[in-house]
Amino acid sequence: MSLKKYVLAGATALAMVGVAITAAHADHFDDGQWGMTAKALKGKTVAYVPISMGFDLAQGWAAAMQKSADKWGYKLVINDPNWSASAGVQAIGQLLAQKPDVLVIQPFDPQSYAKLIKKALDQGTKVVQINMESVTHGDAYVGSDWYDVAATEMDLMEKACGKAAGKNGKIALIPGIPTNPGQMVGTQAINDKLKQYPDLQVVATQAAEYDPTKAHDVALTILKQHPDLCGIPGTWDGQDVGTAAAIKEAGLLGKVYLVTSGGGRQAAACDYIANGSYSAYVSYDGKGQGRDLVGSVVSLLQDSEKAGSHPVGVYSSLKIITKETMSTGSCWTIEDIKANGA
Amino acid sequence: MSASEVYARWRHRLIPDHILGEILSKTWIDNAIPFAFLIIAIAFFAFINPHFFLLSGLGDMARELGEIIFVTLGMVIVMLAGGIDLSVGSTFALSNFITLALFNWQGWPIGLAVLCALLAGAAVGLLNGILVGYLRLRAFLTTLVTLIIIRAIDDTLVIQYSTKVVVPITQSKVWDFISDGDIYGIPIPFIVAIVIAAVGHVLLTRLRPGWHILAVGGSRRSAHNAGIPVRRTVAMTYVMSGILAAAGGVFYASRLGTAGGDTGVGLEVTALTAAVLGGNSLGGGRGSVVKALLGALTVTIINNGLISLGLKSGAGSLALGVVLLIAVAIDVRWLKNRHKVLSKVYVSPAYFKLPPCPSITEGSGSSYALNDKLHDVELIGLGEIDAAEDPILDINDDLFFGSRKGDIIRYFGPDHKRWEVYVHVGGMPLGMAFDRDGNLLCCVAGMGLYKVVKDTRKIVKLTDETNRTWLSIVDDSRMRLPDDLDIAPDGRIFFSEATIRFDSYEWMVDGLEARGNGRIICYDPRDKSTKTVLPKIKFPNGICVAHDGKSIFYASTWGCTIERFWLEGQKKGTTETIIADLPGYPDNINRSSDGNYWVALVGLRTPAFDLALRKPGFRRRMVQRVAQDEWLFPQMNAGTVIKFTESGQVIDCLWDKRGVNHPMLTSCNEHKGYLYLGGIVNNRVGKYKVPGADPNFTNQGSYWGAKP
Repeated sequence: MSLKKYVLAGATALAMVGVAITAAHADHFDDGQWGMTAKALKGKTVAYVPISMGFDLAQGWAAAMQKSADKWGYKLVINDPNWSASAGVQAIGQLLAQKPDVLVIQPFDPQSYAKLIKKALDQGTKVVQINMESVTHGDAYVGSDWYDVAATEMDLMEKACGKAAGKNGKIALIPGIPTNPGQMVGTQAINDKLKQYPDLQVVATQAAEYDPTKAHDVALTILKQHPDLCGIPGTWDGQDVGTAAAIKEAGLLGKVYLVTSGGGRQAAACDYIANGSYSAYVSYDGKGQGRDLVGSVVSLLQDSEKAGSHPVGVYSSLKIITKETMSTGSCWTIEDIKANGA
Repeated sequence: MSASEVYARWRHRLIPDHILGEILSKTWIDNAIPFAFLIIAIAFFAFINPHFFLLSGLGDMARELGEIIFVTLGMVIVMLAGGIDLSVGSTFALSNFITLALFNWQGWPIGLAVLCALLAGAAVGLLNGILVGYLRLRAFLTTLVTLIIIRAIDDTLVIQYSTKVVVPITQSKVWDFISDGDIYGIPIPFIVAIVIAAVGHVLLTRLRPGWHILAVGGSRRSAHNAGIPVRRTVAMTYVMSGILAAAGGVFYASRLGTAGGDTGVGLEVTALTAAVLGGNSLGGGRGSVVKALLGALTVTIINNGLISLGLKSGAGSLALGVVLLIAVAIDVRWLKNRHKVLSKVYVSPAYFKLPPCPSITEGSGSSYALNDKLHDVELIGLGEIDAAEDPILDINDDLFFGSRKGDIIRYFGPDHKRWEVYVHVGGMPLGMAFDRDGNLLCCVAGMGLYKVVKDTRKIVKLTDETNRTWLSIVDDSRMRLPDDLDIAPDGRIFFSEATIRFDSYEWMVDGLEARGNGRIICYDPRDKSTKTVLPKIKFPNGICVAHDGKSIFYASTWGCTIERFWLEGQKKGTTETIIADLPGYPDNINRSSDGNYWVALVGLRTPAFDLALRKPGFRRRMVQRVAQDEWLFPQMNAGTVIKFTESGQVIDCLWDKRGVNHPMLTSCNEHKGYLYLGGIVNNRVGKYKVPGADPNFTNQGSYWGAKP
C-alpha cells in the first residue's frame, strides 16, 4: 500500500465515522426542540467543586450530572477540595482558567468563594451554587431552604417534647460549623422557633463541626449532665450518626427524641429510622436535588443570557421520614442514581 | 597495543569521568535534588493536565504560594537551629482570626489589625521559644502541644464569633489591594513573601544572628563553647517562626476573608514537607532560604496538581504524605552517603602509557646506574626536622626550609647547629626562592604564593587566585597546591600548581589518576597579575629558570619527564620535552654550578604501577573496592638525584644505596660546593660535597649576581 493509499484509507475511515455520528443523531427522533438541546449541550464543560467528594450528597449530585453528561455529550470535571476552603479556592481558580461553561460549587462559608464567583461571572462562566450559598449570587441556587429544614425540625421537637406531649421540653443543640451558610440560616430558624415555643428549653449548646466523633463526645457529655433530656434537634445525618451512637451508648434509645436532617440516602436515613437511631428525619431529598441541579445546569447551558444576569432559586421539597411514614420510595441510593439518573 | 588498551585509551580520552566527582563535591549539589523534584513535579502535572499552568491558574497559585513560603521560611529557620515547629498551622489560623476579628468586626485600621495578628504570632513563638529554648523541653512534643492548645483556642473563637468576623463592616483600599491586587500580574502576597525571603537570605548568610542559628543547628555544644547564646538563639527562631506563620495567616485572611475550623489544618505537614523536600536537613545546620523556596514551590505545585487531578477525598493527603516520606528518606540517605559516594567516584583514573623504563642496574652502563655516593652525606638537624622541603641557603649561609606545621625553619650558618622558626606562614610551605632583594618567596600548599620580607620578616601574600578556566567545574581560580617557584630575570614568578583536584595531604592520590590536573602559573609583580600559563600538566612540580634566563625547566612528576618552556627567542611560548623517560618521578629542579641542573627523583617507577597506568579500569575498581591503605600507589621509598644538561643529557646520578639517609628525595640545592638534600618526609637535611663544584657558587649569585 502506498502512502497515498494510506491517506485515502484514513480519510475514508474518518468520513465513515463522521457519517456514523451524524447518522446516530439523524436516527433520533427530532421535533426541533431535541435537536436544539443536543446541539447546545454537546462539547460543553461543567466544572464541579463540592465541599468534599467524600459524602453521599456530593456523590449523588455528581452521579446525576454524569448521567446527563453522558447522554448529551458535555464534559463534567470534578475537583475535590476535601473539606478545605483554601483548597477549594485553588481548585476553582484552576478550573476557571480552563473557562468552563458552567461552574457548580458548594461553598464552605459566605465569604471564601465570593470573589471567585464574581470572577467566574465576569469571564462568562455561569455559576450554580448547590445546597450552600455564598454572599455573591450566581446564576442559580439549587438546594435546601435551610430555614425550613431547621423550622421543621423544631416543629417536630415541639410535638415530641412540648407541653402538649407532656414532656419537660429540655433540648440540646449540637450545631455543625457556625459559618456554614446552612447552619447560619438554621440557627436563625431555631431562635425564631424557640420564641414561638416557649415551653422548649435549650439546656446545652456545643458545636461538633460536622464531625461524628465530636458529636458523639459532645452528646455523651450532655446526656450525662442532663439524663432527663427530652430531645435533640440534630444538624446533619453525617454528624448525627455520632449523636445517635451516644444516645444508644447512654442506654437512652427511644427515650431521647433525635431528629436529624440530610439528603435521605437509604443507608444514612431510612436504615437509621428503621433501627430506631433517629426518631424522625427531615429529608431534602438528595436525588430530587440532583434532578434540580441537572435541570438548572442543562438550562443554563442552553441559555445565551449573560452570566449572572438572572439569578434563580430552586429550593428542594422536604420530606419527613419516620417509622410510620417510611415507604420504599422514601430514600435513594447512589447506585440507583448512577444507573437510572436522578 | 591490544584492542582493549586502544579502547581504554580512547574511552578515557573522550569521556570526562572526573566531572561527576567534581559536580558531587560542589555545595550547590544539595540544591540539585530539590530542583530535580521541582522539575519532575512541573513536568508531571503539565503532562497530566495541560491547563494546569495556564496563566490565570498560576496567579491564583502564586497567591497561595506566598502564604506557604511564609510558613515554610519560619519552619526552615527553626529547623536550621535544630528544632521543629509544629504549631505553625494553629498560629496561622489564630492570626487569620485576629486579623478578621479586628478589621471586619471591630473596625480597627487594617495596619493595627495586622500588627496585632503578628504580635499574637510572636507571642505563640515566644511561648515555644521559652519552653524549648530556655527550659530545654523537646521541640517536637512541645510544639505539638502548642499546636493543640492554640488550635483549641482558635476553634472556640471560631465557633463563638465566626459568623460575626466574616462580615466586613469597614472597607480599606490597602486591604483590597493586598487581597486582590497585583503588580504586573504578580499577586501582592507572593511579592511580599519574596522580599521577606531575600531579607531572610541576607540574615542567614551575611549577618551574625543568622550565623548563630546555623552554628547552633550544626553543633549545639560547639556553638555554646564558641560563646554563642544558644538558648536565646533557639528561642529567637521560634519567635521568627511564629511571626512568619502569622504573616501567612494575614494573607490567608486577605485572600479568603473567612474563619473556619479548617483554616491552617495540616499546614505544619505542608511546611515540613516543603522544608525537607527543599533539602533542608531535619537535623539542623544545613539548609537555606533558596531551599525553602524550592520546597514551598514544589509542594504548592503538588498540592494544586493533586486537586486538579480530581482525586478522591484523602488521596491528595496520602500523596503528599508519600512525597514527605520519600523526601525524608532521600534527605537521610543523601546526608549519610554523599561523602561515601563522593569518595568512590571522585578519583577518576585516566589512561596513560609511559615509555620503557631505563635501567638503573649497577654496572649496566646506564646513566642512572646505581651507586652509593650519598653514603657519607653530612646530616643537619637529624631528628629535629620534620619534613624538610626545598632547603635553600641565603648569602650568609643560613639554611631555610619549610615544615609541614606551617613554619619556615632557619638553621644558622655556617655550621647549621642552631635553629629557629624563621616565620610561621601557615599551610604547608613547599618550594622557595630568594628574589633580587633577598626576600624569601614561598609556595604554600593550601594558601598560595607568599613573600617573607628580608629583614622585617613580614609575610606578604603575593597571590592566591588566578584566572578561572571556562567550563571548569572545580573552581580553579583558587590555588590548592602551589608547589615550586622560580623567578625569571624580569621579575616574573613562575610557579607550579601540582593539581587542582586534590589537597596537599592527598597529593599521591593524584598519581592514581595520571591526568593532567596541574598547571604552571605566572605572577607578574609589575602589575600584580596572575595568569595560568600552561594548563593540564601531569603534576608539574620542580621549576627552574635556565642559566640564560630564556626558558624554564619544569618536572612533570607523574609524566616522568623534564619539560622546557621557552620564555624568549624563536621558540617563545612553546614547550619541548627534554627528558622523556626518567626512571622515577621528578621533583624539584635547581641550578648546578657547572651550568647544568639538579633534579631530585622522589620515587622510582615500578613495572606494576607502570602497567596499572595503562589500566584505568583496574585503578578505578581498586579505588572503589579496596581500603585506601591497600591501594597500589607510585613507589616513594627510594629516590635519587640526577644532574642533566640543557639538552637533556643525564651526566650524574647520586644514590643512597642503603636507603637510610635519603630514601625519599624531593629537593636538592647547590651552595658553595655542597648539595643540600631534603625530602618531604625526611627528618634531616643532607649535605653532600659535590666533587669539582665551584666553591663560590650560590643561587643568589647565579640569579642576581649577588656576592657574599
